[in-house]
Amino acid sequence: MNSTYGVVAVLVVALGAMLVGAYGLRVSRTTSDFYVASRTVSPWWNASAIGGEYLSAASFVGIAGLIFAHGPDMLWFPVGYTAGYLVLLTLVAAPLRRSGAYTLPDFAEARFSSPLVRRVASGLAIAIAWMYLLPQFKGAGLTLHTVTGAPDWLGGLIVAVVVTVNVVSGGMRSVTFVQAFQYWLKLTAIAVPVVFLLLAWQAHGGQRINGPEYPVFRQTTTVDFDTTTVIHADHDVAFSGRGLVDGARLEGDGLTLTAGEHTIAAGSSFVFPAGATVPHLESLPHTTNANWALPMAAGGEFPLYAVYSLILATFLGTMGLPHVIVRFYTNPNGRAARRTTLIVLGLLGIFYLMPPLYGVLGRLYTPELLLTGDTDAVVLVLPSRMIEGVGGQLLGALVAGGAFAAFLSTSSGLMVSLAGVLSQDVLKMRGVRGFRISAGLAVLVPLAMTVLVGGIPVADMVGLAFAVAASSLCPLLLLGIWSTRITTPGAVAGMLAGGLPALAAGIVTISARTNDQWFHVFLSRPAAWTVPLGFVVMYGVSLMTPSKVPANVNRVMVRLHAPENLGLETNEEPSMSELRRRGEM
Amino acid sequence: MRPEDPPAQRVVVTSPRTGAPRPRRPYPASREITEQSQLGELYMRSLIRTQRTLGLLVVGLVAGGLATLPLVFTFAPWVSRLQVFGIGLPWVLLGVVVFPVFVLAGWFYVRQAERSERQFAELVERS
Amino acid sequence: MTGLLAVGAILLVGAAIVFVLWRGSGPRQDFLTEAQRITFETLHTAWSAAPPLRAGLVPEAAKKSARHLRTLLDTPALALTDEVEVVAWEGLGGHHSGDTMRLAQEVFSTGRTRAFDIGCTLADCPVQIAVVAPLTVEGHVVGVLAAYSREASAGLVRATNEVARWASGQLELAELDRSRTRLVEAEVRALRAQISPHFIYNSLSAIASYVRTNPERARTLLLDFADFTRYSFRRHGDFTTLAEELKSIDQYLALERARFGERLTVTLQIAPEVLSVTVPFLCLQPLVENAVRHGMEGKVEPGHIQILAADAGAEAHITIEDDGIGMDPEALRRTLAGQVDETAGIGLGNIDERLRRFYGDDYGLVVETAEGLGTKISVRFPKYQHGLHA
Repeated sequence: MNSTYGVVAVLVVALGAMLVGAYGLRVSRTTSDFYVASRTVSPWWNASAIGGEYLSAASFVGIAGLIFAHGPDMLWFPVGYTAGYLVLLTLVAAPLRRSGAYTLPDFAEARFSSPLVRRVASGLAIAIAWMYLLPQFKGAGLTLHTVTGAPDWLGGLIVAVVVTVNVVSGGMRSVTFVQAFQYWLKLTAIAVPVVFLLLAWQAHGGQRINGPEYPVFRQTTTVDFDTTTVIHADHDVAFSGRGLVDGARLEGDGLTLTAGEHTIAAGSSFVFPAGATVPHLESLPHTTNANWALPMAAGGEFPLYAVYSLILATFLGTMGLPHVIVRFYTNPNGRAARRTTLIVLGLLGIFYLMPPLYGVLGRLYTPELLLTGDTDAVVLVLPSRMIEGVGGQLLGALVAGGAFAAFLSTSSGLMVSLAGVLSQDVLKMRGVRGFRISAGLAVLVPLAMTVLVGGIPVADMVGLAFAVAASSLCPLLLLGIWSTRITTPGAVAGMLAGGLPALAAGIVTISARTNDQWFHVFLSRPAAWTVPLGFVVMYGVSLMTPSKVPANVNRVMVRLHAPENLGLETNEEPSMSELRRRGEM
Repeated sequence: MRPEDPPAQRVVVTSPRTGAPRPRRPYPASREITEQSQLGELYMRSLIRTQRTLGLLVVGLVAGGLATLPLVFTFAPWVSRLQVFGIGLPWVLLGVVVFPVFVLAGWFYVRQAERSERQFAELVERS
Repeated sequence: MTGLLAVGAILLVGAAIVFVLWRGSGPRQDFLTEAQRITFETLHTAWSAAPPLRAGLVPEAAKKSARHLRTLLDTPALALTDEVEVVAWEGLGGHHSGDTMRLAQEVFSTGRTRAFDIGCTLADCPVQIAVVAPLTVEGHVVGVLAAYSREASAGLVRATNEVARWASGQLELAELDRSRTRLVEAEVRALRAQISPHFIYNSLSAIASYVRTNPERARTLLLDFADFTRYSFRRHGDFTTLAEELKSIDQYLALERARFGERLTVTLQIAPEVLSVTVPFLCLQPLVENAVRHGMEGKVEPGHIQILAADAGAEAHITIEDDGIGMDPEALRRTLAGQVDETAGIGLGNIDERLRRFYGDDYGLVVETAEGLGTKISVRFPKYQHGLHA
């Protein structure tokens, strides 16, 4: 797909972000009136900003791609991403804000007064941020490739450069208002096309989606293979074009792909006629649409284990993401933190209604992606495929721009928090210079990793980052906030016992091909065993070392839990001018 | 103290602050809490317990309810074949219904948590 | 076969490395004389005991220092007390700990070292005699050092005496530290109370001038004045939030604007993300006051003050800038170096010292100024600092 509009949209988003960075869009108000200048961020703004930063590549393109390929089991991704905020709201938000911590390592230190716990927490936070940045870069590469045909690494490089320049040139540009705007931009970019796509689907006759047949080509479709691909055909398929199939050079019309497995060499280009059954990439499940639409029916090893693992990782992992935690600092107090989180729940819920629709329509309109394996591209390809002419192109451009905005905002949020942790805890260089050097370091590692990583779906990679967070930092937060018995050795042991195996499993999944091994699912979805491990070890070791409970635990607990309206310590009568404004004087 | 009142009789004039209510009780509970006395610890513990129970309850109900779905879909496949407005039940549940449920649960939690904090503050400051 | 050879070679090299390291780490006597060794070891042990002693005679720290002091005296047991109780018992025979205060009574009253016969009847209890030496600070006995041993010797008494004198020296230093801290605190208090009489006079006369012409404005200003003074005289807590501090600055500026009228213009640019940052109490308001003074003094044309609070990741960056007469950089340097110079800025030295003390030396004031070219003061605050709460 070569779309000028798409290129323009991506360029506009990237340049816009650069301009914001270069000229430092002064969204903080310039005024001589203090009451206007220093109004705290309202929960609505803050919640939009959290949404803007949180909705990443995985949400924007990944979820639709997974649902498109694997069916309703993948709905657990959006459900889990949202449910994570419910857990955050009920068990973490207010105490975390009241602790006064800016980053997770800050919280670890505030709670345990131990540099060791802080160091371990910051090591894990850095690892998680890197694992999370990686799919952003990959997603950007995919988007650019789909829109312009540019090589895969280019998009990632562009995002990395734009974000680094922003962060380095002017310190922090993930200003609340800019990020809040990003949420609404993304929502528009995904919701507006959906409306038109549904209308188009109705206009085409509202074809059934869970029919008993395999996905078929709606029109004559040209498929280009960029990489050598192993495919599976359920029926004999007639096609034309030229390329290498199973080592044999084919060219011309009236060719037939027999049922069974075939290897198609890179550079092949085939044309399939309308109505032909779509052959599938070998590693994707090949089922009829009816079967695809049912949960737990796709097969695969240990489907129940995989689903529960995913549930645990996403429900508990959100609270451990470094860029999410940082945003809570902007709330003036614990109560506001709760309200903010509640609004985030609503905003995410609205957004996540959309991606499944793309996945579903993709079954009908872009089935060739099942053949090339670029399932993540379904969101980007659908609009121009379903709607003819300029309209479809414009909608496609909107989606591409939104996707790019998703990579940029999530990456810059991650970069800022990651650079903060790196400069404070690793380089020990405070101040502007330390922050800049850290920002450079923060981007280089995942950029280098994108080169090494194979074809794991974007959302799966994000799932791994969630698993590490859920099995290490989540026990630290939950047990640290709600139990007075947790000791310093317990905290360290628990974080390591949960985090290291999850991290190791993630690295193995990313770097080695384990797809066809029986233990693949245990490594690619480690949360179901690493999360309990983290919790049990943290609590168990704490019970075994009762003398190591931090001396000031009670004081810290008061800080974490005392409601603001109790007015401890900072108990002040309302000031005169406040009374005046309330009209009581 | 209006000037037109005739000074028929001497009145006791003091600073207006004298009559203003001020914390005169020797040890309000909030002070026990800041001072980390044994009593203060007890107060805080009960607040923490209430909030913990509430949080776990909300998460437990919602997450627990959701977590049964994969089991149901696996062992009672007929459920996943049910249709609501022509759409499969799993799609409706996981794609649409969960989100308002989350918001409702969150709203309920915020309301309850703020209420118990208010009650706690009243309890502690009245003593 | 080659594999076997390779393994053998590796083992051989490994063994050689281990051997060299082992030989290299052995005791070497040829580098220093016996006297040097004794001096080094004694001073090293003594200095290990010094930092905990600097914390004063409190149980946690005393325990640490007692361990090193016992090494110095080479006795089986050693105790440290303050004026009322034993704060540390190091070594064997802990059941004698309760007697120490009784023995110390006489030392407290005379201020002189004494030896006591304890004569413990328990088998192999090493606590048979005690040498108790006073720990003095500024002529007062603040505690004792008791060394316990099997038998009395002149050497033990002399050594105990010297160690106690050395420890007293450390305690005196600790006292000095504390009084320096107290001095800074007193200065903060003074600064709080130091709303200049000129400011009060000027504000009140400005307010008075409005009473007839614009009573509503006068009332607002009076309320600002009340809030401002109340904040400045606040007694509890060394910390506040940036929002609170900025609010007080705003009230201060409202009062100054009433005095200077249109001549004083102010731009505030505040990133809402940093409003909840914890900052030392009254660390910015004096800087603004300084800016107003330097910005308006000795000129007729309007003065402009710009206050910027920006979010910078894990830090908040604040700058306060005026376009007034500027300061003499030399005088300013002397002020920031701790030399008292009344002319260069209100309390700049004090604020600088407080910031460095709370956040470390990286976080002092940065002032850009020259005579006639205005002044720009920059401050950075970490968003989170362990142990500091508003």
